[in-house]
Amino acid sequence: MTRRLIVLASLVALLLAAAIAELALGAVKVPPGEVLDILFGSGKTGPNHQIVESLRLPRTVEALVVGAALGVAGAILQGALANPLASPDVIGVTGGAGFGAILIIVLFPEKIALLPIGALVFGLLAAALVFVFAWTGRNRGSIAKVVLAGIAMLSLFTAGTTGLLAAFPEKAPSAIFFLAGGLTSSGWESLDTTWPYFLAGAVLVVFLIRPLDRLALGDDVAASLGSRPQLIRFGAAVAAALLAAASAAIAGLLAFLGLVVPHVVRMAGRTSSQTFVVPASALGGAALLAGGDTLARTVRAPIELPVGPFMVILGVPVFLWLLRRAL
Amino acid sequence: MEAAAPTLAFPLPLEAYDVRVKIGGTAIVHGATLQVHPGELVAVVGPNGAGKSTLVRAICGLQRASAGVIAWSGREVRSLRGRELARLRAFVPQRMPVPAGVTVREAVTIGRSSQLRVLGRMTRADRDAIERAMARAEVGRFAERALVTLSGGELQRVQIAIGLAQEAPVLIADEPTSQLDLGATVEVAGLLRNLTAEGLTVLLVVHDLALAAAIADTVVVVSKGRTVAAGPPRQVLTPERLADVWRADAWLSEHDGRTALHVAWLGQR
Repeated sequence: MTRRLIVLASLVALLLAAAIAELALGAVKVPPGEVLDILFGSGKTGPNHQIVESLRLPRTVEALVVGAALGVAGAILQGALANPLASPDVIGVTGGAGFGAILIIVLFPEKIALLPIGALVFGLLAAALVFVFAWTGRNRGSIAKVVLAGIAMLSLFTAGTTGLLAAFPEKAPSAIFFLAGGLTSSGWESLDTTWPYFLAGAVLVVFLIRPLDRLALGDDVAASLGSRPQLIRFGAAVAAALLAAASAAIAGLLAFLGLVVPHVVRMAGRTSSQTFVVPASALGGAALLAGGDTLARTVRAPIELPVGPFMVILGVPVFLWLLRRAL
Repeated sequence: MEAAAPTLAFPLPLEAYDVRVKIGGTAIVHGATLQVHPGELVAVVGPNGAGKSTLVRAICGLQRASAGVIAWSGREVRSLRGRELARLRAFVPQRMPVPAGVTVREAVTIGRSSQLRVLGRMTRADRDAIERAMARAEVGRFAERALVTLSGGELQRVQIAIGLAQEAPVLIADEPTSQLDLGATVEVAGLLRNLTAEGLTVLLVVHDLALAAAIADTVVVVSKGRTVAAGPPRQVLTPERLADVWRADAWLSEHDGRTALHVAWLGQR
């Protein structure tokens, strides 16, 4: 119990540090004290105020929201599918979102503002198709059926994406940034469109935490305790689809985060109880994305590296090291 | 067996009449009737594939029955919501997946969560129920250990504790000893018998006839999807019935609370 509290407290500290770094660092360095002044309004106006409030603050909030959403989406999918490999990939969301974004880039290059909508709509569409195939017919809602339908849909949409890029190679440069995953300083617009999806996903998750713990003891135990296993899995998949599609709309494809963060917090907390794993994954995901984005913006400044691959390259060795120690 | 109408005036904890179950169009149970009286230990026995587990799952509300009546304390299983049912009976499946990173106490707490409202918090009474369940199933000693570190017998007792945390009047277990060695079987059998003495009503699916004869008040024989006999073990598990249902030349003996099944393993000499 105390171990969990220590982990949660450390994650909160990391998250605050990452958020302040994201606000303070960059081409213009703003001292942390001034950042706090700007945020909590001892009313200075000036260039630093502009930079922090209209460029870095929206980006920081995006990083925190997307990081938390992907961490939670991974945690609940791994729980619901009793599968350590589960991430928003396996319900088709990532594949669909990628296709939707590339479709906008290729077909409506003059309306690039539609890109988040394309990613969101196709991400949810792919997940909906997975649900249609996985939750009908025999053994509806079984783990194998969900995972197989999801992987099939992922392959289909990924093939569509690759096909489009091969047919329109001149569009590839603008597509790469989205596929790699990264944040932009485009203000509050993308959050304006996506917040209802994040909110709906988050509310659903709150109701799923306890049923998911029951599901960990198997479908029979969960059912005998009064839960409906297929319904829990469906709810978890819907919540993860909402969170991951909205995340993809803002930040492109960052699947790695959703896969890894829940494992790291389980290892750190030495428990897979969802009452711990879900909030810890939210904090950890937010801290990781904000911290990763700060690094990606600053290591080769003024060049901004896309945070997706950067995080993966830094994250994989850490993850493998943890894996070796844990198993 | 003649199917009678349920007696609703003084409902038994569990009654099932002429239950039929189809799985994927195949009839697995076609005509099963049983009654469970308060405070007794009932053993459902029968050959492999007779439909014992399917019958018990249908009784528990985990599998839809295509026909028949299943009543828990006089209330039809179909009319009960999951959480209501969880107050009337606990079900211990044959094998529970053993998730990593879950301790015994956490698992038993999950069992208790069936009694909470959606998003409701644990009260003092709930925490007491968890402690009581762990004490009764004798798992308190290793309450903080992870499930993955337990032996088969310990894990079975934890599964029973998960059921006990529901504080339902009836506990149903599907083959609770089939994976256990002799010593662990003796332990679990003693535990189930003690729980019955404390007033719990217990229904088990059992493979081992000598074990069923030793611990059960009533034995229900299932053969080819039907209940074919029910009563005290010695009256029901006769050499004729063993020959008829199990196609084995065998008889049960009992001496000083020890039971044995004497089998002509290689047929008649």
